[in-house]
Amino acid sequence: MSDNTNRREGLRFCIVRVDLSAQKTETTVLPVEETARFLGGRGIAAALLARTLANGKRFDPLSPEAPILFSMGTLSGTNVPMSGRSNITFVSPATGLYCKTNVGGHFGLAARLNGIDVLEIRGAAEKPVVLWCDGGCVEIRPAEHLWGKGVRETTRSLQDELGEDATIACIGPAGENLVKFASVMSSVYNAAARGGGGAVMGSKRLKAIAIARPAGRLLRPADPGALRTACNEMREALYEDSMADSYYTYGTAASVDQMNETHTLPSYNFQRGSVEEIEQLTSQYWNRSGLLKGRIGCASCIYSCHRFIRIDDGPFRGACSGGPEYETVSALGTGTGIASIGALQKANELCNDLGLDTISAGGVIQWAMECAERGVLSPQELEGIDLRFGSEEAVTKLPEWIAHRVGIGDLLAEGTLRASQRVGGDSWKWAVQTRGLEQSRVETRGALGYALAFAMNPRGPDHLHTECIAEFGMTPEMRSLIAEITGDEKYARPDVVEKRPEIVRWHEDIYAVSDALGLCAFTSTAAYGASPERCARLFEAMTGIPITAEGIMHAGRRIVTLERLINLRLGWREDSSAYAPWRLMNERQESLDLDEPILDEARMGGMVREYYRLHGWDEKTGQPLVTALEELELEEFAHFAGDDDA
Amino acid sequence: MKRLSVDPMRCTGCESCVLTCSFEHDDAFSLDRARIRVERDEENGRFSPKVCIQCPERHCVQACPEGALAMDPQSGAIRVDANACSGCRICEKACPYGGIQFAVGVRHPLICDLCGGDPSCVSTCRLPQAICWIDTANEAAGEVT
Repeated sequence: MSDNTNRREGLRFCIVRVDLSAQKTETTVLPVEETARFLGGRGIAAALLARTLANGKRFDPLSPEAPILFSMGTLSGTNVPMSGRSNITFVSPATGLYCKTNVGGHFGLAARLNGIDVLEIRGAAEKPVVLWCDGGCVEIRPAEHLWGKGVRETTRSLQDELGEDATIACIGPAGENLVKFASVMSSVYNAAARGGGGAVMGSKRLKAIAIARPAGRLLRPADPGALRTACNEMREALYEDSMADSYYTYGTAASVDQMNETHTLPSYNFQRGSVEEIEQLTSQYWNRSGLLKGRIGCASCIYSCHRFIRIDDGPFRGACSGGPEYETVSALGTGTGIASIGALQKANELCNDLGLDTISAGGVIQWAMECAERGVLSPQELEGIDLRFGSEEAVTKLPEWIAHRVGIGDLLAEGTLRASQRVGGDSWKWAVQTRGLEQSRVETRGALGYALAFAMNPRGPDHLHTECIAEFGMTPEMRSLIAEITGDEKYARPDVVEKRPEIVRWHEDIYAVSDALGLCAFTSTAAYGASPERCARLFEAMTGIPITAEGIMHAGRRIVTLERLINLRLGWREDSSAYAPWRLMNERQESLDLDEPILDEARMGGMVREYYRLHGWDEKTGQPLVTALEELELEEFAHFAGDDDA
Repeated sequence: MKRLSVDPMRCTGCESCVLTCSFEHDDAFSLDRARIRVERDEENGRFSPKVCIQCPERHCVQACPEGALAMDPQSGAIRVDANACSGCRICEKACPYGGIQFAVGVRHPLICDLCGGDPSCVSTCRLPQAICWIDTANEAAGEVT
């Protein structure tokens, strides 16, 4: 091919800065040293956010000064398996803390092949706008006609307007109405769900980002031969992984019935670990009953764990959406006591179209159900809605009420922490959250690695900074990984404290690497094709920056440490009561197969101190020590730690 | 002889095949420089790969007014004589399978060359098997190789 002008090297990271108040855009190229230090996507966004915090004054997460960053993976735009993930980074309106979300679909692929690697957006438009990205140019266009519309209609309208092949990331009414757990949706059904990024976009009156189908551009790795070899090896390893067939055939909800049997499936607002009727909530049922209409792959994904499900009959006939994923099954299904796939898919469809995080939406609905059952919410406050556990009316009506802040929906839109503060009584005890984020659907009372990971996650209690399922040792790959990290396969059991800090720290580092490279977490922390060694080879082949397996994990730790620093700057303080939601620390889940409760403050405290010691952080305050910062070359942010006016 | 076979019902829309195709041919990644594309209906979860399937009718060869297209008798792939091609795009319209692509900045059509006998797209589609490399002799029996 002849035209070298449109060739982009894998090394170049283009940052487009958009100021919605001034209606201006500006493009810069990231210095190579920064790519080497922060690897890509998640790392670069964290560094840019940290610089903003270092230079500027404090801001409210929903104020014009607050930035929101869309950052693509270094390998996004390539055929490296599962390399199409993008990060969206902001200060969460739910927690007031650092929040990285990560989303699939085709957004990262389209952005990267258009020459846009990071979009740093600040300011606020006077009237609704959409950003139109075509060939590296970003245009701010009016979007008043889209305000109020759902995700599907917004996507359709923008594709009619700008080209049917355009890739869209947008918010629904929930984001416009500043719901604390509003999501950003990409490629219609892929959610950057957690922490309220949709509300940050809504506060800026930014309805959507639309990206043209990239044409006439080539993204060229520094060493195509080396990239091809590492990519083919990784693909083979992922095909051979014991989990490969399960992800393709059954998706993320593959183990729902097994979890139900072992009472590890959070149900009835974490009061129980199983439900009586589970069949319709299993992906095995969706496959055999013909509800599964298709499988959907994010860009470059060879597993395609995402499903498309349509309900063929009954009261919810026609309800259809991507998913439901495992998290949604537990959050809107077993958590609320719903047993029918029809009602669950209707609720899932509504959340996806309104732009709501299904984990938090389910969390706040089941909290309200418990409030109603315990008489903390009065019949008047319920406005005629049946809020008992198992109410299909509640799960299929409340998403609309929340997104539009109608009636009790206005209270629930604030999330369980704030809602319980307003409702009062003991309702805080069954608000299954810490620091303002609802816990994702893991029974951490029986899994101490997960419990530690959730406690240390900078954005709050979920599995999406450290997916350490390997501690269960279910597959040969998981057991061998645990042996590699700890020196012995015997630590592949989730009910002991020994080696949990080591396991969590390793997973944090590789997770940060995966997010920075644009790889799905399933390549490194659920299936195991992207080892540190292979990540290093892929990064080096793409960018030409020499790096070893050790070096790339070191960079992963740099990102993790920087995120802790950002949180310290934002006011995060060590607090043992926030290690886990109160219910999980103080109420026993009777049917769990344990002789005695294992999730308690003593065990958590011990693991946390050991985790800090491994990091070189202060064991009491969790603040990175100067030696750790020097080792990671993060001295420029040293003042974030121990800054009492934060 | 072998040929590519496409089953849109099995396609997940991941576009691994598209990116792999451009990488094999250009050592770089592009969606429009590939010899395969995927039609996408994200809202309904429907996707359809479009690529030359080495059909026996060879509509494109017959339609080309310049005689720029020919079938390789060994592999069944369509060969493009870039010098003879006028860029009229009649072949694109003649192909009922959407198997002929045009890219920005390239005058001649991009048509699958079967990567010299081991189509790289197939290797990325092992689980869904939306694109398969089948033996035409076994086709009646529906065997996938």
